Amino acid sequence: MPILSLLIFLPLLATAFILALPTRYKSSYKYIALAFTAVQFVLAGICYVHFDASQPGVQDLGGYQFVEQLSWIRLDLGSIGKLEIDYLVGIDGISMPLLLLSAFVMLMAIGASWNIQKSPKGYFALLMVLNMAVMGIFCALDFFLFYLFYEVMLLPLYFLIGIWGGARREYAAIKFFLYTLFGSVFMLLIIVGLYFSVINPLTGAHTFNMIYMMNPQNYLGDSIFGWDGYQEILGISARLVGFVVLFFAFAIKVPIVPLHTWLPDAHVEAPTPVSIILAGILLKIGGYGIIRICYSIFPDMAALSNWWLGLIGVISIIYGALNALAQKDLKRMIAYSSVSHMGFVLLGIASLTAEGISGAMFQMISHGFLSAALFFLVGVVYDRVHDRNIYSFRGLAQLMPKYTGYVAVAFFASLGLPGFSAFIGEAFVIIGSFNAASVGTGLPRWMALAGSIGILLSAAYLLWTLQRMFFGQIRLKGGEAWANELNDVNSREQLILFPTLALALLLGVMPSLLFNNLNASVLNLVSFIQQFI
Amino acid sequence: MNQLAHISPIYTALLTVAAPFVAFLYQALVGKRDQSGMISLLGIVCSFIFGGLTWLAIWNHPVVSAQLTWFIIGASTFKVGILLNNLSVLMLLLVPTVALPVHIYSRAYMKGDPGIHRYWMYLSLFCFAMLGLVIMDSLLLMYIFWELVGFASYLLIGFWFTRETAVQANKKAFLVNRIGDLGFLIGLAIIFTQFKTLNLVDLFGEAGLIYQSAVTNGQWVSPVNSMDQIWLTIAGLAFFLAAMAKSAQFPLHVWLPDAMEGPTSVSSLIHAATMVAAGVFLLATVFPLFNESALLFIAIIGTITAASAAYFALGQYDIKRILAFSTISQLGFMMVGIGIGTWDAALFHLVTHAFFKCLLFLSAGAIIHEMVHLKVHSQLDFDPQDLRNMGGLRKYMPKTFMLMSIASLALAGFPLTSGYLSKDSIVISAYEWALSKGNFHLLIPVILVIVSILTAFYIGRLIFKAFFGDFRIMDQVRDKLHGAPLHEASKTMLIPMFLLGLCCLFPVFSLNPVSYHDSWLMDGLLLDEYTFAPSHNAHVIIPLLLLIGSVVSWIIGWKWYVQQKYPLNVNSLSLKAAFNQAYINELYQWIFVDGTLKLAQFCYWFDRYVVDSLVAFIQFIVLSLSRLSVWVDKHIVDGFVNAVASVAYWTGNQVRLVQNGKLQTALYSVFLFVLLGLIYLIFF
Amino acid sequence: MITLTHFLVVSACIFCIGLYTVLSKKNAIMILVGIELMINASILNFVAFGKYDKVSYGGQIFALFAIVLAAAAVAVGLALVLNVYRHYKTINPDEINELKDK
Repeated sequence: MPILSLLIFLPLLATAFILALPTRYKSSYKYIALAFTAVQFVLAGICYVHFDASQPGVQDLGGYQFVEQLSWIRLDLGSIGKLEIDYLVGIDGISMPLLLLSAFVMLMAIGASWNIQKSPKGYFALLMVLNMAVMGIFCALDFFLFYLFYEVMLLPLYFLIGIWGGARREYAAIKFFLYTLFGSVFMLLIIVGLYFSVINPLTGAHTFNMIYMMNPQNYLGDSIFGWDGYQEILGISARLVGFVVLFFAFAIKVPIVPLHTWLPDAHVEAPTPVSIILAGILLKIGGYGIIRICYSIFPDMAALSNWWLGLIGVISIIYGALNALAQKDLKRMIAYSSVSHMGFVLLGIASLTAEGISGAMFQMISHGFLSAALFFLVGVVYDRVHDRNIYSFRGLAQLMPKYTGYVAVAFFASLGLPGFSAFIGEAFVIIGSFNAASVGTGLPRWMALAGSIGILLSAAYLLWTLQRMFFGQIRLKGGEAWANELNDVNSREQLILFPTLALALLLGVMPSLLFNNLNASVLNLVSFIQQFI
Repeated sequence: MNQLAHISPIYTALLTVAAPFVAFLYQALVGKRDQSGMISLLGIVCSFIFGGLTWLAIWNHPVVSAQLTWFIIGASTFKVGILLNNLSVLMLLLVPTVALPVHIYSRAYMKGDPGIHRYWMYLSLFCFAMLGLVIMDSLLLMYIFWELVGFASYLLIGFWFTRETAVQANKKAFLVNRIGDLGFLIGLAIIFTQFKTLNLVDLFGEAGLIYQSAVTNGQWVSPVNSMDQIWLTIAGLAFFLAAMAKSAQFPLHVWLPDAMEGPTSVSSLIHAATMVAAGVFLLATVFPLFNESALLFIAIIGTITAASAAYFALGQYDIKRILAFSTISQLGFMMVGIGIGTWDAALFHLVTHAFFKCLLFLSAGAIIHEMVHLKVHSQLDFDPQDLRNMGGLRKYMPKTFMLMSIASLALAGFPLTSGYLSKDSIVISAYEWALSKGNFHLLIPVILVIVSILTAFYIGRLIFKAFFGDFRIMDQVRDKLHGAPLHEASKTMLIPMFLLGLCCLFPVFSLNPVSYHDSWLMDGLLLDEYTFAPSHNAHVIIPLLLLIGSVVSWIIGWKWYVQQKYPLNVNSLSLKAAFNQAYINELYQWIFVDGTLKLAQFCYWFDRYVVDSLVAFIQFIVLSLSRLSVWVDKHIVDGFVNAVASVAYWTGNQVRLVQNGKLQTALYSVFLFVLLGLIYLIFF
Repeated sequence: MITLTHFLVVSACIFCIGLYTVLSKKNAIMILVGIELMINASILNFVAFGKYDKVSYGGQIFALFAIVLAAAAVAVGLALVLNVYRHYKTINPDEINELKDK
């Protein structure tokens, strides 16, 4: 069974259904979307269950699982050679958890869009296209295919923010679109450069196959990204330029400081489900891209520049946390906290140790659940009174005790309370990056210490918010009218929140659910990069 | 009993921990429907029984540990397991022994509170976390329970979450504890980097990795790694930072007085007996890690804490705050015990302190309970915790008075009490340690002696002000009430207090009332290898000095507070400073809180106006460039085309004039061309 | 002594006056006068240059012919002007812009 292709293209079928159904059946769109996403989630679950955790993956095509390879485009270009683009999908320990996460977060997002009134046809159709693109990104092993999905993903997001968003939606949508496009356009140049540098050892033709790009033997000696050549662009080693450009393309997605300013705007303006997808999946594409592409194709440059990556990570952690502390808008605060938490991902990746990279992966998954839950929780109160200002609320715990319970659990989970997933992620990022100096990866120990300050600051802004909004005597900006509107969470909302937080708890208590599948791939990646230190 | 003894201590230990957890889960699921707290009480009774069994099986028996693989990350395996040695089973017994009376007491104390189901839930969670903390065999697991303990304490301090001060206090407590947690995390990272394991048995067990490592040539070398020796000191200080926050050591003690916002029963269990002692327990666990400089630092901080907290206690009027500062001060004693290398003495004091301080808090709770009743009945507005509103309570609450006096004597280290044994063990050891070290170190035992006398004084002040003299607000309440304003506490409260009172006496710990060396507890911890020689004179002189000092201080206290011959100016600078805790809170607020917030505001400003402006600037540049190119396109490129056209047009228009059909114009042009022809012919 | 140059200068002056009159006057008769002046200027040149032909006096003879022809042309011109005036009630050449009958 071509399970990955099914995963990727099922949503496209859903889109077709939704578009084909006349508008008078518009109440059925959400059920179609839900049904297809649920099937997808089951498929992703099957992937998880049948996943062979001992396979290494990363730069070894044999170590990938559920691989499907089809010749897609074969074009004779005369003197330049033959164009060879494959439909090549497969997953290893690094992409599989993210695939499962995406399916889960998509399910959450559909649940969160239950009350969408504004042209549901277009909304759900776009959501399904987005779903397809996201799945494709995590599965694609051909760089051209990857790029295709990467660009396809932008389009539905642009419209989802620009049409269904808040007051300044056009501004936010354009800002988001241009930022990402800025990164990906330069990525295309590097892809072309790689294409002309790499030869498929079997056919002798140039190839877009990422796995071939990871093997130094497949590079032509005098090509632009060749290993033994001294090719330079503007006086800088060409491979470094390639690495840096690809890094920035993905780092914009992560996002790193100072390329993060699209994120608060996009999050604040986007409707709740899109915020959930943005925080839950989109940011992870950045981290995934850095591991899968930057680090695997340019391992030498990764070893060379990890000091800078670590520095960027530390700056993101602290800067994001400080910004979150200064916010008055709840959603914006959570957006900035995403910057801070994703900084841990970068720090962990930069550590180049098994603990650090596993911690970073764990942090990505955990942040996927938790930030999605947090944005959902903001949506709950925003749905009721259309206000998100922290100072508009006080003493909510008395009005909405269950809601407060969920918020408190989500807040404590994301500030890294042991027992929840974020703790494992953050602790191992810190341990790994501290360990890095002993392994010789050149990441100084003070970065680990500085990163841990972020943990303190995240406790500060989350607890402060908890105190300001939920505790104390009831005092609402909207007075009695608001008090009547602010009903406790209903069963649909609980149905979404409970599994999410339960999952965060489950992963926190049994991290082996994730680590078991990660280990082989991470160890392989680490040893692959270690040769170049 | 014999049947039960056959159960493996592993299982009894696990049951000890699991019982409160089950109670927590039950209470969390049932919620409001069960307010009785029976299940929580049952849970802690189970804990007490199984904890006792475990203690019987392990105390002075070989160490037992069991492990399961928890997860594998990269190439390192992390295991979940429990370690039962004398230290851990001692704590495993201590926690339910203190928690059980508190549970019983709470049934009366918290009766009728609308959120009581939450109270039971949190209390069970705390007991679970605290018990988990003491038996875990890996630093990572300890860290997990360490934070869970802090979390439970956060929940309980903010139990009355509608009170602004309570939620401020729990936030403060959690954040200050977080600072310590960072220390713990950094310590973990250092240990893991250096030894590639976090397992306590591998690290600190017999011939553990820690003993195989040494400092050579400025490098700290372990069997698997080596790093600069500074990291050894940093590791020690990092763990001490964790303990400083949890055990409220100066300068991280600020959260504990504020934590008194929680229910008094909670304060007695968490913020006096168990959780705050976790720091001492942690330091005892990782003790082999500390090098000379780290130990000295610990001793100094402990001394400063003991002294400053005793000083602050002198100026307080809130009965709970006095006890809070007294707790901090006693924790300082324990830290000194750790710092001078006699962690068995520290643990001894921890255990005795747990009982008498818990009893002090419960007695204070009984008083507050009555005062609150009075406040509700008389509909007067006064602070039920303020000493200035009390006085003469001995007449209304004789049993409470008696129990509290016993606990106070124990706190002051009066002979025949447990406090006498444990406190003397620390002070005498400190003296012996200082003798072996040299002059400068003598400051520490000297300060400790002074602090001990101060302790006797401030606890005497509390007793005198609360229980002697006349009831100070009698005049206000007399006409509003029939009969006595206050009554003895209920039996549900008195029985647990009575049990705790028994544990404050010497026979529980040692049959010899004057020598702490005969205590079973000190024997069990088996720390014979003190680094300093014993001094026999000290064993006589120091207890005598302390006793005389205490008695003198009580006589002074009696004169000042009971006979109303108070010689000091209440508004004097030193008393005001003591009342306001030397303005440390204000200083922290000013430097750290406001500083961080200012920094955060600045960062946000920076983000909006610099980083985002950079984006806006790029946008501006791009837009300007595009406008420029539009202008160029319109005026230069297109302008050239238009210019050609308009020149042609203009020329045509001019030439057209010739063709206006007028005779003379035609002639004129003919003439002009002839003239031009002529000119051409002539000049060219 | 009066040289050839003097004659030529006078002749040129008369020609210029005639030319100016032809180009600028808004009266057909004045234009005819201007034409007459220009012819006379040329006749003067004939006579002046006649000094180089002392055998057959070609210059003087051409001058006589020219005077006769000029007289005839003026006669025809005046007749035309008279008819134009009768037809258009004006002899301003600018306003006579239609050749067809009204």
